[in-house]
Amino acid sequence: MKRLAARLLAGVGVLWGAATLTFVAIHFSAGDPVLAILGGPDAIPTPQQLAQVREEYGFDQPLWVQYGRYVGRIAQGDFGESYRLRIPVTEAIGKQIGATLQLALSAALLAIGLALASAVLTAKRNPWVRRVASASELVLSSSPSFVLGILLLLVFSFQWPVLPPAGSNGWQTLILPTIALALPIAGMLSQVLRQELEDILEQPFIAMARARGLSQTAVRLRHALRHALVPLVTLSGFIFASLLGGAVVTEMLFARQGIGRMMLDAAVAKDAPVVLGITLLAALVYVVVNLLVDVLNGLIDPRVKPR
Amino acid sequence: MPINHWSRFGLLLGLLLVSACSPDAPPPSSVQRVDGHLDAQGLLSYDPSDYHETRQGTPGGTLRVSAALDTGTFDVHSSYHGNVQWLARIVYDCLLYQDENGKISPWLAKSWDVSPDGKTYTFHLRDDVTFSDGEKFNAEALRVNLEHMRDPATKSPLAAAYIAPYVDGRIIDDYTFEAHLREPYSPFLYVLAQSWLSMVSPKQIREAPKSIAEHPIGSGPFVLQSYTREQGATFTRRADYHWAPPVTRHIGPAYLDRIELSIVPEAMTRYSTLQSKRSDFTLDAPAQNTAAMRASQNLVVRNRIRMASPYRSLTFNTLRFPFDDVRVRKAVAQAIDRDGLAWIAGFGEFLPKSDYLAVNTPFYDPAYRDVLKYDVDAANRQLDEAGWTARDAEGYRVKNGRRLSAHLLGFESPPFPSSVAVAVQADAKKVGMQFIIEMMPLAQLTDRRTAGNYDAIGGGYWHTNTPDGLYILYHSDSRASPTKSGNNLSNLSDPRLDQLLSAARRSHDPRELQALYSAAQQRLTEVVPAVPDFESQVLIAYRTAVKGLIFDTVHNTPFFISVWLDQEAP
Repeated sequence: MKRLAARLLAGVGVLWGAATLTFVAIHFSAGDPVLAILGGPDAIPTPQQLAQVREEYGFDQPLWVQYGRYVGRIAQGDFGESYRLRIPVTEAIGKQIGATLQLALSAALLAIGLALASAVLTAKRNPWVRRVASASELVLSSSPSFVLGILLLLVFSFQWPVLPPAGSNGWQTLILPTIALALPIAGMLSQVLRQELEDILEQPFIAMARARGLSQTAVRLRHALRHALVPLVTLSGFIFASLLGGAVVTEMLFARQGIGRMMLDAAVAKDAPVVLGITLLAALVYVVVNLLVDVLNGLIDPRVKPR
Repeated sequence: MPINHWSRFGLLLGLLLVSACSPDAPPPSSVQRVDGHLDAQGLLSYDPSDYHETRQGTPGGTLRVSAALDTGTFDVHSSYHGNVQWLARIVYDCLLYQDENGKISPWLAKSWDVSPDGKTYTFHLRDDVTFSDGEKFNAEALRVNLEHMRDPATKSPLAAAYIAPYVDGRIIDDYTFEAHLREPYSPFLYVLAQSWLSMVSPKQIREAPKSIAEHPIGSGPFVLQSYTREQGATFTRRADYHWAPPVTRHIGPAYLDRIELSIVPEAMTRYSTLQSKRSDFTLDAPAQNTAAMRASQNLVVRNRIRMASPYRSLTFNTLRFPFDDVRVRKAVAQAIDRDGLAWIAGFGEFLPKSDYLAVNTPFYDPAYRDVLKYDVDAANRQLDEAGWTARDAEGYRVKNGRRLSAHLLGFESPPFPSSVAVAVQADAKKVGMQFIIEMMPLAQLTDRRTAGNYDAIGGGYWHTNTPDGLYILYHSDSRASPTKSGNNLSNLSDPRLDQLLSAARRSHDPRELQALYSAAQQRLTEVVPAVPDFESQVLIAYRTAVKGLIFDTVHNTPFFISVWLDQEAP
């Protein structure tokens, strides 16, 4: 319990750090926020409007005052209002997050499923099968989602129109983006998993299990896999980061709604509150994922029991 | 009116694919590709039937439309997004409209009078118009709308500036409104016809102004049903609508039951969904696909020109070396091959341009269209005369030990893709001038721009329905300063040009306006604050089943009121 409390406290620290770093980065990056609020470089706000906005948003205050207000507001759960959309950031994110979650979740499931299947089926099998599998994994893990996405679009939407190329309504629109997002992650994961599985299959307890008369498959599924899962869980941070990064490109390419696309738009328009909001959300998810990983690792591998 | 949010990789990805198969045939004349008729004098005229309904349509059906970008808000007073031009026409109406020849014509205002001193405008309003929440459109509604445009809380980037001379208004009776201006400002009627100045329900403005962004209430032919940002919107017909602008000759409600708008950033996808009949209409037809679309039996491509300022290849900072010398500016203008630039950016769709007003702008004068035309010999002569006669080892011109060299800043956008930047650089090199290209993110460019820290900036345009766009871009009043933003990037301050453009703001006499604007256009080719390269064009495409499309006389963008679907068409 005490350990959990400490971890939670550390999590809050991480969030605070992320908030501060983003605040500093945005402050020192190019672009006047007043212009961002009033429509961008070509807009023609009047001098009164400029002065008014500067005062209203407190940009005329010293930096530390601005920072203090910002942290204070965040602590109360107030993330401010988007410069570009003129609605609360929480509302803006709330409306987009569902689509991203859907995509991320289905891509994560597909990636893990594919990786497990490939690892279990090919570890320590016929060298040719193994070679083909690991070569294709290498290709996939080094292909960016947007290249895969364009290929998928060309084949399954344009040449052979079986799946819709754009949108985020209905399960059909989820298929291509999910595959595009999942394949590079699957390629990477299955490489790690197979390596792990092969190491484990060398272990004496596997020979013991075989000696007890268990079939090859049963050994793999019941004994080896459980051990191989540990690195998978530890890698969930990597999976999460890949999903978030990939979502930006995938959502653009497939014209899906979502926070990835929103983040890009916000960054281009220098919409600081939205950028900050999404960054903090990402940091929050990261902290939660890492907490869960700790707990899960303890369950899967009793040796890492918390002390 | 510029569109700024184009540095998308959606576009880049599309281009990535397309570049492999871009045509290398010699550029055919883009004249045949532009809608309308371009006569020998260089004047463009559109068929009047582009602007009004010619036959009654069949009601019913859903039109599936795609566009590249989302405006992010329906509060058009708080927006300056280019898509507002056609988007606002779906849910809103304006006070005024224009006729086929660009003259101001009635819409929600039946008629208007301007006082002899040009400072009092009296509007006589229609008395049968309602907003979709049941509120009546009347003098109070007009007053509330003008207030909302300039309310600091609206943070209007455009509408507020367009009505800046407006001081206050008087409600004479329910349907008569008197607007008082600080000074004579003849563009006033024109800007009131623009989509960014559409009429919003006064009740909504008073009670829930924040809700306009997502749940707008207008008096337009359609009502917004649902809106998901970056995804799309659905509109349904308003059955009791019967106040379309008389110029459109459309009577009664719209024909379409529904419009489904999808935001599709990827060019390739907009094209392929149209081709596979997954959509009926795209407002952003990719230039690289127009050849294929024109060849298709089932698709129609339309190519329209935005009024006022064409795309610029670059704008000079006239305060800085080497562009403080007008001869150097003129030489660069003559050295740039606009035909080539138009072809690189528009795949044969764009019309090259050497003067400062779009061909279809009221009071455009084609007399000066060739003054700055591509002429390498003339460019070389200009530079020789300016004393840039010596050359260094790399072939660049040198004077007093200094190379003829400047930095060209830009960010990736339709008027200024990197391909255009590189072509400009290569053209300048041919006459011995060096351009060092710096492509950068928009925010960084904005900072450099605000600080005045640039030799030349690539790209840019300004769309408005009056030649007053020249005031916004080249009058000394429009220069930026620490307290004021402005779009006169050239920092030009030419007393003669200032006088002409200011006088035009005070005049309502068409003959006088023609003389003033002609002289201003001539003057611009003498002072050369920028190098126009091609017209700012709107490419749209739709299936042949889409009938009855007319164009908005104000923005030259599609107006969906008269569109209908031919269910029998393939």
